[in-house]
Amino acid sequence: MIPIKYNIRNLRRRWVTTTLTIIGTGLVVASSCILFGMVEGLQQSLRVSGDPNDLMVLRKGSTNETSSYFDLSKVVELATIPGIARDEKGRPLCAGELVNIPVCERANGSRANLIIRGMDPISPALRPNFKIIEGRTIEPGKGECLVAKPISGRFKGTRLGETLKCGERESYRVVGVFTAGGGAAESEVWVDRNDLARNTQRTGFVSDVQLRAASAADRDAIQKTIQTGTQFNLLAMKESDYYADQQITGMVLLVIGSVIAVLLSIGAMFAAANTMFAAVKSRTREIGTLRALGFSRFDVLLCFLGESILLCSLGGLLGWLATLPMSALTFGTNDFNSFAEKTIQFRFGPLVFAVAFAMTMAMGVFGGLFPAIRAIRLDVIKALREV
Amino acid sequence: MGQEPAIALRGVCKEYRREQIKIPVLTDLKLTVDEGEFLALMGPSGSGKTTLLNLLAGLDRPTTGEVVVHGQDLAQMSEGQIARWRSRNVGFIFQLYNLIPVLTAFENVEMPLLLTSLSKRQRRENVRTALRVVGLEGREDHFPRQLSGGQEQRVAIARAIVTDPYLLVADEPTGDLDRQSAEEILELMEQLHREFQKTIVMVTHDPIAARRASRLLKLDKGKLVGDVIQAQEVAS
Ligand SMILES: Nc1ncnc2c1ncn2[C@@H]1O[C@H](COP(=O)(O)OP(=O)(O)OP(=O)(O)O)[C@@H](O)[C@H]1O
Ligand SMILES: [Mg+2]
Repeated sequence: MIPIKYNIRNLRRRWVTTTLTIIGTGLVVASSCILFGMVEGLQQSLRVSGDPNDLMVLRKGSTNETSSYFDLSKVVELATIPGIARDEKGRPLCAGELVNIPVCERANGSRANLIIRGMDPISPALRPNFKIIEGRTIEPGKGECLVAKPISGRFKGTRLGETLKCGERESYRVVGVFTAGGGAAESEVWVDRNDLARNTQRTGFVSDVQLRAASAADRDAIQKTIQTGTQFNLLAMKESDYYADQQITGMVLLVIGSVIAVLLSIGAMFAAANTMFAAVKSRTREIGTLRALGFSRFDVLLCFLGESILLCSLGGLLGWLATLPMSALTFGTNDFNSFAEKTIQFRFGPLVFAVAFAMTMAMGVFGGLFPAIRAIRLDVIKALREV
Repeated sequence: MGQEPAIALRGVCKEYRREQIKIPVLTDLKLTVDEGEFLALMGPSGSGKTTLLNLLAGLDRPTTGEVVVHGQDLAQMSEGQIARWRSRNVGFIFQLYNLIPVLTAFENVEMPLLLTSLSKRQRRENVRTALRVVGLEGREDHFPRQLSGGQEQRVAIARAIVTDPYLLVADEPTGDLDRQSAEEILELMEQLHREFQKTIVMVTHDPIAARRASRLLKLDKGKLVGDVIQAQEVAS
């Protein structure tokens, strides 16, 4: 085997072309990382419960929480349906929630819709990894609120200790900041349901009920009971169905992202191939010498393929690392259901790493293959005559 | 040993083809070289010296005829076998040294040993020995561009002898050197011949260089036109 230090030093020797190629491949990998960071963030936000047995109960005819409302008394009835999962204290996982989407002022002065959710005490148990990371939970009836971490600071009055004002009537003091595993709740402000009902004059109503069945069979039975019997006559949707629209957005983004990543990789492949062809050409006599000394065609192939992979890996690694700090950033997008501002956090997880790795390898292998083949096809004697 | 010649060529022809036209380079060569001979090969440009050297070294194959080196018929071996055979049996010395610019003197000399099963420690020992023989101890960490032409050629010679090959081939080893450096290189080659009994084939244009050899062959238009056993100058 021709030692790898031979490749490293050759890359260093022609450092100008090496640097340019690294920057090129790095930019390609970085832009794909950003794209797939968005896709992964979106997918994460759709993984609302992580629990396939969750149901969302809406008024018949509604397709989203905003246009749905029904009587608070039905929540108590719903909680008595057999087959509903319970928390460790034995309370049924069935939360009646009230949603309001007022226009609020952003920190930068512009205005956007913000989801204010009147929560049930059991609501946190129905969200994945719900955690209060600052402050404490709200006390009912005191005009307090919890703010999702990505929202905190994005709107006026949403930092811990500040007071969030939405319109004339609504005003909540921030007593805690929460995270919810990157799920949909991370775009929301949570308040006491009764506070919200009072402020918006909807006492006695809820927008929807979130509930969790104990098993898949129970879920189907509960869904049937709610939808077909005369007792409820409500709509019960699986959460995955509720978010289907957005899943399509996620899919579209994934497809577009993949196409762009493939095209960019092909472009970068040519850049890498160009660099490697130049390397083979300028080292023709060296290749002849190595072959004369007894190194095989296979040794030479590995050597140049290795150099190409090394070159692209440096670019790929740099591109990937450069985008990592972006995971602290969130981007706003409009939720198609509520038209409220929805914040999604860039996520540089396994998907992004896999994309970066696959692109790097593809660029390295395919960019290096043809130059390496040219290197091994050189006639030893002719190569040695090269000056 | 003894009986068997180091090199035996019988009926060797070599021709190149260029667009249907055959260009004969070597015609019906017959040659026997004994072990430990130091052969100088002279002749006008284009007479086929490099071609002949490449055949002996297993870099090229004859169109017809037999090339037997150290008892091995090179024509019978596959490309992979012949590459392995080369790495063990032949040391190459080139006119332009052909060192690898990004490797130090030590690393250049070590290259052929990477094809053997020697341990790192044994390799280091062999490289040190080879560099001592060519008088370059203490220059291990120098890169080729930090050395003079003569020193570069010494490193190349160290690389050629580090595997203790059976045959050394040198194509105009002093062609790119000034008189002084050329003398030193020739001195070194003669020493390898005298002290280590290496079989050496050296192509040269320089009559003074040729006089160092124990036997002088002359090639013209692909034919051997002269074969003289020379009296060895006694080293002072
Ligand atoms: N690959 C090849 N294809 C065609 N012709 C070739 C090839 N290699 C060598 N020749 C021809 O063979 C002849 C002998 O070449 P060779 O290199 O052996 O000569 P030489 O004696 O070493 O010359 P010099 O002293 O200039 O090095 C030349 O006429 C050359 O043009
Ligand atoms: Mg020649």
